[in-house]
Amino acid sequence: MKIEQIYKVFDEYRGLSDSKLRPTEPKSEQFLKAFRELLDKKNNWPFLLPLRLALEACTHCGTCAEACPVYIGSGRNKLYSPVYRADMLRKIYKRYFTLTGKVFGSLVGAKEVTEQDINAMAEAAYRCTICRRCVLACPFGLDNGLVMREMRKIFAELGIIPEELKEEGVDNQLRYGSAPKISYEALMNILDFVRGEIEENRKNVSIEIPVDKVGAKYLIINNAGDYLSFLDTIRGIVEVMNYVNVDWTFNSPRTGVFDNVNYGLFYSDKDMLRVIRAHLETINKLKPEYVVIGECGHAYDVLGHLMKDLIPAEERPFKVIHIVELYDKFLREGKLKLDKHKNAEPVTFHDSCKIGRCGGIYDEPRRVIVASCRDFREMYPNREYNYCCGGGGGFALMSKYNFLDFRMKTYGRLKMQQVKDTAASTLITICANCKRQFLDMVSYYNLNINVSGLSEVLANALVY
Amino acid sequence: MDEYFTIFIGIYLPYITLVVFIVAVIYNFFKWIFLPRPIMWAIFPAKKSLANILFTIATRIFSLPGPRKFDKLIFTLAWMFHVGLIVSLTLHAKYIFIPHLPYEYEVGTIAGMLAAIGSVGFIIRRYVDKRADSYFADYFALILLIITLSLGQYIRMFRVVESTHLWTWVQGILTLNPIPPPVNTLFLIHIVFAQIYMIYLPFKTLIHPIAIFYGQKIILDQRHFKG
Repeated sequence: MKIEQIYKVFDEYRGLSDSKLRPTEPKSEQFLKAFRELLDKKNNWPFLLPLRLALEACTHCGTCAEACPVYIGSGRNKLYSPVYRADMLRKIYKRYFTLTGKVFGSLVGAKEVTEQDINAMAEAAYRCTICRRCVLACPFGLDNGLVMREMRKIFAELGIIPEELKEEGVDNQLRYGSAPKISYEALMNILDFVRGEIEENRKNVSIEIPVDKVGAKYLIINNAGDYLSFLDTIRGIVEVMNYVNVDWTFNSPRTGVFDNVNYGLFYSDKDMLRVIRAHLETINKLKPEYVVIGECGHAYDVLGHLMKDLIPAEERPFKVIHIVELYDKFLREGKLKLDKHKNAEPVTFHDSCKIGRCGGIYDEPRRVIVASCRDFREMYPNREYNYCCGGGGGFALMSKYNFLDFRMKTYGRLKMQQVKDTAASTLITICANCKRQFLDMVSYYNLNINVSGLSEVLANALVY
Repeated sequence: MDEYFTIFIGIYLPYITLVVFIVAVIYNFFKWIFLPRPIMWAIFPAKKSLANILFTIATRIFSLPGPRKFDKLIFTLAWMFHVGLIVSLTLHAKYIFIPHLPYEYEVGTIAGMLAAIGSVGFIIRRYVDKRADSYFADYFALILLIITLSLGQYIRMFRVVESTHLWTWVQGILTLNPIPPPVNTLFLIHIVFAQIYMIYLPFKTLIHPIAIFYGQKIILDQRHFKG
C-alpha cells in the first residue's frame, strides 16, 4: 500500500491496520475503562508498582531519550523520546486518576482524552520495542518502556493488536502448536532433511533426532520460525547435541505447543498466561529435567523469568535454561573439542535485549564464541548498554504498510552502523527476532554481512 | 509588616507546614508499600540479596550512573543542586541544636550559590530542551526555590538577621513555646516562600527522592518470590 493512502495518526508510519485501529470509531469510554482496570491491584498486580512509579514520579528530565535507540536512530525526533511517548498516557492518568490533575488540570500536565489522542497512543505504543535501555538512564529507575507495554495492554482490551502478534501469532500457536502452523508431517520432513544434510557433510557421523521423547534430560523447544527461516540454527543444535551425546529431545505438534514464542508478552498479560499454560501442559507431558529455550530472546524472558513469579513452583517441576547456557556448560565440562580456525572470518555478537539486559546472559555466549571463532570483535556499546536491533517487542514480525521503513530508518540505521564499525563479516545473535531484523537490514541496506545463530557457528568448529 | 501577619507566618504557619509536610511525606513513602510486590523485572546485572540491593541503591543515589553516562549536563546540575540544597538545609536544621557552626558563613554561601546555579540551570534546560514537555508545576517548584534561595543567600551574606534570635525562634517552635520570629521584611518573605515550598514539595518534587528507592529496587532485584 502506498504511504499516501495510510491514515496517519501519530507519525508518518503505521504499524496497525485500519481494521484493527478503527481510526474513525469513538473509543474514549472503552479506553478509560480499560485504563481504570489496568490500575486495579487485582487485575494488574505484576506490573502495577513500576507502572504507577513511572506515571507519578517522572520529573521530565529527558535523560532517558539519550539512551533510546529509536530516538537517536531517528535523528532525535521528539516523537520517539521515551518520556514524550509515556507522557501521552501520563497526561491522561493525571487528569482522570489523580487529585492534583483533577484540580489543577493543565498546570500539572493533565489533559482530557480525545479520540485523536487515543489513535495516536495506539500507534505510539508500537514505536518502542520495550528494550528497556531507557531504564538505565533514569536516575530513579523508572521504566518508560513498561509504560508502552501497559499502553499496549489497554489497547488489547479494545481489540487493537497487530494481527501478526494475535491472530497469526498467539491464536495460531494455541490452535496448531506453532505460530507458522507447521504440521507434524512437515516438521518430520524438515528434521529428515536436516539429518541428511549433516550426515552428508560429516562423513561417518550418524545423526539421531529424538522427537517427543518422554523423560529426556533436555527438552529443546525452538522458535518454530527457525524451522522455516533459520534451518542452519536447527542443524547446529542437532549436530552439537549429537556430538556431546546426551539425553535430549525436540517436540512436535503431537505433544501440544512446540514453538517457544509467546507473543502475548508484547501486548497482553492474559494472552501471555494462556501461552504459558499451553507450554506447561506440553512440557509436563514430556517430563524433562531441563527445558532448553532454543535461540529465542523473549521466550527465555517469559519461561526463564516471568513464569517463575506467575506460576507456583509445584506446577513447573523442571528447570529452564537458554541453549547458550547449555553450550557454555558443555564447553566448561570439556565435552566440546573445537577448532576456532574453522571460523576464521571476523565475527561480532549482538546482545539481545531479552537475553542480556532482561535475562542476565552476557558471558556465556562470549565464552562459546571465543572458543569457536578465531577473530571475535565486540561491538560498542555492548552488554546491558547494547542498542536494541529493532526486532524486539514483536517488530520483527511487523512489516505491513511502511512499518519496515520505520524499523530500518530508526533502530536499524543505528544498529547497522554499530555492526559496520566492527568490520566483522559475520554477525552472531541468539534470538530469532533479532535475526529476522538483521536479515531485513542486510536486504534493506544491501549489506555484505552474514547473519548467523550461535549454534551453527559452534557446530562448524566441532572437531571429530 | 502587620503584627498579626508576622505572628501567623512565624508561629502558626510553621506548625501547619510541618504537619502537612510530615503527613504527606509519610503518605508518599507508604502508599507504594501497599501496592502488590511486582513480578521480577530486573535489569541485569542485578542483585541477589537485599543487603546488596540496598547498598547499590545508596551508591546510585550519590553517583547517578544514568545521568553520568547519558547526559553530563544534568548530572552536573543535579550534583550542584542537590549538594547545595542538602548543605543549606543542614545549616538550617542546626538551629534545632545550636545557633552557630564554625565556617558556617563560608560553607552556607557556597552551598546556596551551588543550589541557585543548579536551579537556574534546570530552568534554562527545561525551557531549551525539546526532548520532554515541561509544565507549569515543573517550573513553579524551581521558581519558588530560586526566590527562597536568593533571599536566604542575601540574608546570610549581609547578616540581616541575628542568628541567636533565629535559634530561639526555632527552639520555641520545636518545644511548643513559640516566640515571634525576627521582624525583617526580607526574612519574613523568605520563610513564607520556604514554607510554601515545603507544603508543595511532597505533592510534586519530593515524590522522586522517595520513588528512587522503589524504582531502583525493582530494577536491581533479581529474586523471584515463588522460588
